Amino acid sequence: MDETRFACNPLAAWTEINGNIVLVSPEDSVLHELNPTASFIWKHAAGELTAAEVARLLTSEFEVAPEVARADAEEFLALLAQKRLLLQQPASEAVR
Amino acid sequence: MTGLMDRLIFRSLKSHLPLNAHFDITYRCNERCVHCYLDHEDHGEMTTSEVKGVLDQLRAAGTLFLTFSGGEVFLRKDFFELLAYARQLHFDLCLKTNGVLIDAVRARRLKEMGVRKVQISIYSGRPEVHDAITKLPGSFTRSIAAVRFLKQQGLQAAIACPIMPQNVADYRQVVDLAAELGVAYLLDLTITPKMDGDRAPLALREDSQSLLPILTDPVVNAKHSRSEESQPEEYSDPCYDIPCSAGHNSCYITPYGDVTACVQMPVAAGNLRRHSFQDIWYGSRELRHLRDLHDSEVPICSTCSIRKFCQRCPGLAHMEAGNAEGPYERACELAETSARLAGVAHPVSAYHLLRNSGGTAQSASVRSANGSASGVTKSRLITIASAVDLQLNRQ
Repeated sequence: MDETRFACNPLAAWTEINGNIVLVSPEDSVLHELNPTASFIWKHAAGELTAAEVARLLTSEFEVAPEVARADAEEFLALLAQKRLLLQQPASEAVR
Repeated sequence: MTGLMDRLIFRSLKSHLPLNAHFDITYRCNERCVHCYLDHEDHGEMTTSEVKGVLDQLRAAGTLFLTFSGGEVFLRKDFFELLAYARQLHFDLCLKTNGVLIDAVRARRLKEMGVRKVQISIYSGRPEVHDAITKLPGSFTRSIAAVRFLKQQGLQAAIACPIMPQNVADYRQVVDLAAELGVAYLLDLTITPKMDGDRAPLALREDSQSLLPILTDPVVNAKHSRSEESQPEEYSDPCYDIPCSAGHNSCYITPYGDVTACVQMPVAAGNLRRHSFQDIWYGSRELRHLRDLHDSEVPICSTCSIRKFCQRCPGLAHMEAGNAEGPYERACELAETSARLAGVAHPVSAYHLLRNSGGTAQSASVRSANGSASGVTKSRLITIASAVDLQLNRQ
């Protein structure tokens, strides 16, 4: 997952309510709510992002060890990719 | 723990966040349904850029669920441009349409644009009955074809069927048709006056006696009762002591930019050509007044012994009796019928008791000790049942 780039699914519906991101997944119309940390990442992930970039976001905002941030970042990306809220970008387009 | 949707509704009601917006982008229509409440002439509907500006404002206000409706939405030449813009703003998109202009290509475009659900009006399983109501020959065939095109694309489709004398005997055909098509259905017993106050459509409203086959149909009522299964703990909160969510977390916008609480509440809180959505939604006298209405304090109705069977709507109360806080005949009639069917002996609404005793609607103003909203109202507030929390674990 190191340099794999992810982008928000453009078909996902979402809004911010009381500081948290609420999303409707386009595949199954299920409603999701991100916790404050995940919402922070989502709001900063306007374009594409990698696990390393997410980890950097976390360590810059929260008091968290780099290895923990990295593990959380990978878990976050994997989970949202599994739910098709984030889409893995083709390697040929992996240019920021 | 209640579902995420329940909590989302709770928070939006508490903070008056306009979670749901129903936006009629045109009143023009290619059908002329006998019961329709709209004036189909174009009196200056908003331009493409004006509509986009409204969508920007809804997005900024926190709206998630957006329904485009009409009139017939596909009559706007810029409809797909507006849809694309709404998609860019990340709304959850639903459409209400007659489906006549949806072909395979358009169904695919709707899918590509991430439209979640499309509701199409179907009045009968018999083409001649449907077409007589729409006054558009061939409309049944085209609307049914649209449902199939949408299904082929994997879109959620639903059929809505307002009930009137022309089709009351056909309601079971509609239920069966929905099952055959694999879509949800809604039998709508509400026929309303026109938005200009003309009460002519009410002549097409069936009385409760004629509706008994529907009200007692085990298939139809099993479907309806399922939505009332859960009663989250938050329902004891004062924010649920309201007639419905209109004006609290839901709004309606006309093609001319008027903002109202609901399509059935034709009292403009302001116009988006003159004021911002934010100013109208949080500052208008009309909406603040509506938010001050509490079920437990509504004169007469709050004292009614059969209120849990009542589907009283403030908008219809306004349109039919001139007072959003008051009772109206149709709600009482249906509540008494529902109560009777539930086994209540000789049910009489508070309004009818008062009227029979010689009182008037204006003479009673009694606060009820029981301040909770009715089960019917609660179930109406729930629009999506399934919800999943997504948590990022951080140690």
